[in-house]
Amino acid sequence: MKTAVNKIYNPEIECMSREAIREMQNERLQKTIRLVYDKVEVYRKRMDEKGVKPEDIKTIDDLHLLPFTEKTDLRDYFPYGLFAADLKDIVRIQGSSGTTGKPIVSGYTENDVEAWSEMVARALYAAGGGEDDIVQVAYGYGLFTGGLGAHQGATKIGATVIPMSSGNTERQIMMMQELGATMLCCTPSYATYLGETVKEKGLQGKIKLKSGCFGAEPWTEEMRQNLENLLDIDAMNIYGLTEMGGPGIAFECLEKDGMHINEDHVIAEIIDPVTDEPLPYGEYGELVFTSITKTGMPLIRYRTHDICCLNPEPCACGRTHVRMSRITGRTDDMMVIRGVNVFPSQIESVLMRVKGVTPNYMLIVDRVNSTDTLEVQVELSEEMFTDTVSGIERIRDEIKENIKSVVGISVKVQLVPPKTIQRFEGKAKRVIDNRKLGF
Amino acid sequence: MYVKQISVYLENVRGTLREMTKTLAQNGVDMLALSIADTANFGIVRLVVREEQIPLTIECMRSAGFMVRMDEVICVQVPNKPAGLDSVLEVVDNAGLSVEYIYSFTISLENGALLIIRTNDNDKAYEALNKGKIKVYNQNEINSL
Ligand SMILES: [Zn+2]
Repeated sequence: MKTAVNKIYNPEIECMSREAIREMQNERLQKTIRLVYDKVEVYRKRMDEKGVKPEDIKTIDDLHLLPFTEKTDLRDYFPYGLFAADLKDIVRIQGSSGTTGKPIVSGYTENDVEAWSEMVARALYAAGGGEDDIVQVAYGYGLFTGGLGAHQGATKIGATVIPMSSGNTERQIMMMQELGATMLCCTPSYATYLGETVKEKGLQGKIKLKSGCFGAEPWTEEMRQNLENLLDIDAMNIYGLTEMGGPGIAFECLEKDGMHINEDHVIAEIIDPVTDEPLPYGEYGELVFTSITKTGMPLIRYRTHDICCLNPEPCACGRTHVRMSRITGRTDDMMVIRGVNVFPSQIESVLMRVKGVTPNYMLIVDRVNSTDTLEVQVELSEEMFTDTVSGIERIRDEIKENIKSVVGISVKVQLVPPKTIQRFEGKAKRVIDNRKLGF
Repeated sequence: MYVKQISVYLENVRGTLREMTKTLAQNGVDMLALSIADTANFGIVRLVVREEQIPLTIECMRSAGFMVRMDEVICVQVPNKPAGLDSVLEVVDNAGLSVEYIYSFTISLENGALLIIRTNDNDKAYEALNKGKIKVYNQNEINSL
């Protein structure tokens, strides 16, 4: 049941004035730059190459003088090349297996684990959580930051944690029902799958969930609506990335109008992904983060390749930290179809506006006679099914026309039978690119 | 005034239709009328059963994994004489309605055949047929066939 109310975990920090935040950021940035210059050879070399000394960095306006950090740096300097602390002070390693080859890791000092736990604690409070809650963690546990991140945050707020990890849907639902879980933490696609299964089993009235924090993959407003209806909860967006220390970097409050970035721990910038120039508040571009409290592996101007925009306006919830919009795409999963930039999220939001369409779809990119083609496979649902062939064809044409008007390209829409599109328990993979590029 | 029709979505995969008819047979469903619409990608089977068998039909189709829906359609008696069907369609046409599909019952009566007729507007079609003195069957009459 939707009964979550707004709570602020650390009001002194979360509601401080913009000037005070800025002052705190300036001071912490100086300290961090000094630390990485002294302790991380890569950063010292790159700063020297640019002719920048730690003392040149006085305020956040000097950020643009600093070099970027890329994901490839984490691979190239794997495992310890970017660590700023001695291993004796590193108490934890988290990481991601990576889809290709070398993994990436992040090292945490005790201070970093503590800060991370508080960031997630703030997110859970913002979702109405507290010591009376029973939090079911259905993110994977292990190197992946989702499981342990949510676990630590829930522990920090004094809640009762059910460390389910991901998978085994039957058991998840059984435990959720029997133990009376009130909050859920997992990926939004897995939460949707759990919700669909709960509905199928006719258990909708028997689940006590009030809210959940869902992240580790981009999702849309329409997916939120669907998820909130399926489980009768407030479904909150939480953002993070392993490189910056995991989930909780930013989180939504119940206003559900952007995610508050924990600005006492990171500085967020938006840059033009092509020119690398910083963009003003309100403009869409690539999100770039600089750690300002981490001592294990602070990253400077880390390029997330996520596309979003920032909003510095005070929020109705009382928090003053800048809000980031939903991630509307990736600079690198952007598909270029016949010269047009297409984000899978754009197509998803079109699909979710058509009555009866479920968030299960696949995008197949191919090249036929030197022309790019995009096929959108959508699962037919009972709500879309009609007794006439023309009725079904009408829905197909509606989807096709809506995509054309939003994205600007013609696609082929294929309605496929229910349950034939793969369900994902972790990050959903929605694009198959069959184009054989090259010569 | 209307008759209930069950539609079943069929994938265009060999054996699907048989799987459907087998399930219906095993559950003792007696089909009074049946039609199949097929396209390159999928098929729609529509059927009419006696009212008492509707829940059973829907349930056995769903548990066999088929997608099912129910609609109300019009059932008319077509006079057993030349131009019988045309006289019905003339009424529908004159009312400015378009026909989505037509199919006939497996049993025929002494004084004519029974047809399911689906137009773009059930209520208007019902009114026009009544005015045109065409005999329209309701679900109760179908149940006692
Ligand atoms: Zn807020």
